[in-house]
Amino acid sequence: MTQKFYKEPGVKDSLQIRRQRQGDYFHSHPEYKVERDNNKCIRCLVCVRECPYDCTYFDTDRNVIYNIDANCVNCKRCEVMCPTQCIEIRDWGNKFRDNAYWDFKHWGSIYKQADTGAVVLTGLGNDEDYKSYFDRMVLDASQVTNPSIDPLREPMELRTYIGRKPETLTSEDIRNSKKIKTLFPNISTEVPVIFAPMSFGAISFNFQKGLATAAKKMGTFFNTGEGGLHPDLLEFKDHAIVQVASGRFGVSSKYLKNSAACEIKIGQGAKPGIGGHLPGEKVTYDISQTRMIPEGSDAISPAPQHDIYSIEDLRLLIYAIKEAVEYQKPVSVKIAAVHNVSAIASGIVRAGADIVVLDGFRGGTGAAPRIIRDHVGIPIEVALAQVDERLRKEGIRNQASIIAAGGIRGADDIVKAIALGADAVYAGTSAMLAVGCTLCQQCHRGKCAWGITTNQADLRKRLPVDIAAERCTNLLMAWAREIKEMLGLMGLNSIESLRGNRLKLRGVDLSEIELKTLGIAQAGI
Amino acid sequence: MKKVYPIEERCIGCHLCEVACIVEHSKVKNPVSAYFTEGLTFNHEVSSYTPEPNQALSDNRPKPLNRCIVEENGALCLSTNCRHCEEASCILACKNGSLYKDEEGRVLLNEKKCVGCWMCLMACEYGSINRNVYIKNVSLIENNAIQHHCDLCPEREEPACVMVCPTKALAFDNRK
Repeated sequence: MTQKFYKEPGVKDSLQIRRQRQGDYFHSHPEYKVERDNNKCIRCLVCVRECPYDCTYFDTDRNVIYNIDANCVNCKRCEVMCPTQCIEIRDWGNKFRDNAYWDFKHWGSIYKQADTGAVVLTGLGNDEDYKSYFDRMVLDASQVTNPSIDPLREPMELRTYIGRKPETLTSEDIRNSKKIKTLFPNISTEVPVIFAPMSFGAISFNFQKGLATAAKKMGTFFNTGEGGLHPDLLEFKDHAIVQVASGRFGVSSKYLKNSAACEIKIGQGAKPGIGGHLPGEKVTYDISQTRMIPEGSDAISPAPQHDIYSIEDLRLLIYAIKEAVEYQKPVSVKIAAVHNVSAIASGIVRAGADIVVLDGFRGGTGAAPRIIRDHVGIPIEVALAQVDERLRKEGIRNQASIIAAGGIRGADDIVKAIALGADAVYAGTSAMLAVGCTLCQQCHRGKCAWGITTNQADLRKRLPVDIAAERCTNLLMAWAREIKEMLGLMGLNSIESLRGNRLKLRGVDLSEIELKTLGIAQAGI
Repeated sequence: MKKVYPIEERCIGCHLCEVACIVEHSKVKNPVSAYFTEGLTFNHEVSSYTPEPNQALSDNRPKPLNRCIVEENGALCLSTNCRHCEEASCILACKNGSLYKDEEGRVLLNEKKCVGCWMCLMACEYGSINRNVYIKNVSLIENNAIQHHCDLCPEREEPACVMVCPTKALAFDNRK
């Protein structure tokens, strides 16, 4: 292992080293520049050991650490680990002549495509400069005419029941109101935040176990993603939402039963309409056991579910799963937010789904083509507002809960999403940030410097389970406190009173049609 | 007695414990000075250190060396240091009594007494004693250096390596 850190014997020229390390990518222009203060560098080689992208190497002859800037992805691992803070990663200013039209994303992609002939892959979520509606909505507060509530002195209710609700409550013995007859299976969460679907394979086992531990501790749920439930996570089965995706990895009746709820994944916000591909070299023994596929074989999720070509087919699968779990668990359907999403959601609810998950275009992914991640799908805010409104108009809103996903950045987004009509939200990227993610968008390479989206033995050790669990628990606790504060100032003492309460929202800097789509009024009115 | 225990599953082999150890056992407790100017004297006439700091890494100056060593083999790695054995074979092997046990039970070295015979180094079952070739007590003998092992950072409540470890792969506790 130590050998790789030093200059290869016989190589004299740094250009040769660069070419050796980069293979055929002659055109990979550096995006970032690693500035190293050599007066402060103590040659402890922490940066060399920590860099998984072969960006840093030590020249033993000259006693200097050099960087191959073209390999730097700005993951900031070396910056953070350096004991003398002598490293600074900067944007490589010296690109092309200023051009507002031909930006780096486009010409950079063309160079990469010309080098390899392949689709340009990336990770994380849409990073383009689209309008964020969350940032253009403001919340109401109680003043003279109605009192605000102090959450530190008065009880605040954050418990949320997710699942189908009955039309009316009927009981056998109405006078004593015992034995309510028509109750559907619901899952209850103490915080209206659920960890988003991230499969074992896309993320490390340590991180998934950390999420599971945090979910158990905070009384909420984690989602296994499409990668199956690892046997070691069976102790968290009451806090697991298990996913049935197009690849059907790890799905068995035991898998469905070892869960709190089952989820059918139709689409993913970051890459609506396309499937997934976990390369064979990443399918290690553990992953192969969990996914129930041979070790080293490619794990390919097809773009569509091959048994779902209509709402009726979806109904068949929903009821097949409901039969398998003996109608004891709610079944959720996850779709990406796309055009005309309200009609699709209405169909899903009529097909029998207890939960509809809407995944907006800011949602993250382990790997997706860059063009699809950046240009397909619609913002979650408008999708959520439209779906909630449509289901209300059709009188079927009680038949399913709505979970908003894709780009939930904090308690402010959660409160706004719930006010727009969501029952709860999924948080994925935020949970990754909580354990050290620096949004370098290299998830698809499986070499995450922070040990989050990797299963390489030496890298995944960088994120121990208990540290991940502690940090995710802290995040949920902080969010719960912030949500309570925000509810208190609006004069509400329960998250239920906020759900779909768009009177608490006002739009700033939005056009009339945007306000109408979101179903909110202009600020000041 | 509290000792430093490595946790193999958590160690990521970043070697920051070694850096922390060197810094803690330097005079200035600043990493840059500990590595470059420790043991050098500032020459006011030419307003610089003699020799120059950027050449100082290879110089024979009495600089601190790390007392814990990270052993690694691929993904498997751990930080090794002195076990402070109850019946320490290094103390038995020491011929002039420069190694001793203090009242708390840690094995310490009287650096002024040590003549650098390295018998302790031969006797240690764990290989956790190293020599610091930059410090010489007996100037006449070539390649004489005093032995060097973890002293559990007497000036700190928690040793520097434990404090600095990013994944908490070093535990400072009382286990038997």
